[in-house]
Amino acid sequence: MEKVIEINGLTKMYKNGRGIKTLNLEINKGDVFGFLGPNGSGKTTAMKIMTGLMKADSGEVKLFGRNVVDEYEKAMQHVGCLIETAESYPYLTAYENLKLFSRYYKNIDDNRIDEVLSLTGILKYRNEKSKNFSLGMKQRLGLSAAILSKPELVILDEPLNGLDVEGMIEIRKLIKKLVETEQTTFFISSHLIHDVELTCTKIGIIYEGKLLSVDHMENILANYATLENYFISEVDKNGRI
Amino acid sequence: MEGFKATVINEIEKMYKKKKMIVILIISVAVIAIGILISIGLSSVGVGVFKKSSVFPISVLSVLANTLLPLFTTLVAIDLFSGEFSHNTMKIALTRPVSRFKLFSAKITAIAFFVMVNLVVVMLLSTSVGLICNFNSITFIGIIRIIISYIVTLLPIMVLALIVVFFSNILKSSSAVFFLCIMLYMISFVMGKIFSPYSSLFITSMLDWHIHWVSDTMLITKITREFLIMLGYGIMFFTGGYYLFDKRDL
Repeated sequence: MEKVIEINGLTKMYKNGRGIKTLNLEINKGDVFGFLGPNGSGKTTAMKIMTGLMKADSGEVKLFGRNVVDEYEKAMQHVGCLIETAESYPYLTAYENLKLFSRYYKNIDDNRIDEVLSLTGILKYRNEKSKNFSLGMKQRLGLSAAILSKPELVILDEPLNGLDVEGMIEIRKLIKKLVETEQTTFFISSHLIHDVELTCTKIGIIYEGKLLSVDHMENILANYATLENYFISEVDKNGRI
Repeated sequence: MEGFKATVINEIEKMYKKKKMIVILIISVAVIAIGILISIGLSSVGVGVFKKSSVFPISVLSVLANTLLPLFTTLVAIDLFSGEFSHNTMKIALTRPVSRFKLFSAKITAIAFFVMVNLVVVMLLSTSVGLICNFNSITFIGIIRIIISYIVTLLPIMVLALIVVFFSNILKSSSAVFFLCIMLYMISFVMGKIFSPYSSLFITSMLDWHIHWVSDTMLITKITREFLIMLGYGIMFFTGGYYLFDKRDL
């Protein structure tokens, strides 16, 4: 199996003592990886280091075999991401925002922009400035930006934040469609265990900066009634609940 | 180079869409209009900048290079760095396949483009006004002098921009950077006047170095010395600014 993400001994500690400690992880092509953990467990920190927004104290991250520190451009060429909050330039329309992002990639034309706006359900707001968008609409625009370049790896930090039930279902369907049709690999962090259970094929649990376990969803559901039970059990094993 | 080119285009488009550039150009044009009115007033008492058609554009530049242009450049530079950090929009570009060095250089290039556009617009307008008011005095040398004086002004303004960018990467708040830059500008201006023998060490005293280029006897030594000092400042603040930009965690 082709390794898409390799994380080796990743450590980043903040002054308040929180952070991540010697994180090791491998994600293969076509995996839909769910990164589970409570608030402050280090999910976003790990994802920020993976996408070059933050520097690690030690350890390394390789995307498609390329180190994100030494070969950032090549490592990020086939990566789309949405980290922490979906940001856009508020004085630009949805179309103009995506047009800006499209310049970093080859062969992204207006049809592709319309296609992603349609996939995320905001095509009708194409020419509206994003400052007038609701939280859910901004989230959809952020998702559009993440999948615009037809990336082979999509890193999403809490992608369902602010979405209504209908939106959550649509995004779940979109993720499944991209996995089936384009073999896209997903790395998704979320605290919504039920949604992770419905979407992901592989699960990693992080708690207080340490990766407690990594397992395939089918193994988890063979041994536990729900993902929630597995999560509680894993955290409990480590004596923290 | 693709990432660099894309970022330069994006930064210029963002400036344009924010209407900031348009407002700034309008203000610059308004300054010329005010300059004309003042000049007409002075002409009536015998002090005329329209005596020669090339004097008016250079007079406008001297005022602009010491006042509005540094102010506008500071605002734009802060907007491109501190503004984007504080509005959390910096990560939009940082998560694209473009290195931080290219992103940083592209933003500096966009600032240079803004300064150039501003200078070109003011040059064209002020030259036109100068010609309209005294067409007979037009000479080829006069036109060349105007063009040179406007082109060379780009350098001190860009050094100033790099200093602003440096502080924009230290302080998080846009307003804190703005006030710090205003304070430093005023201190540098006053120090340049008080310690006039050392004035060439202060960037504010180099904002009107275009005068050395268009004076009747060209001061090669002075121009070279000031050029090297500005180059030194430029390299220092570019390197320092990039170092901070590269190390910054979001």
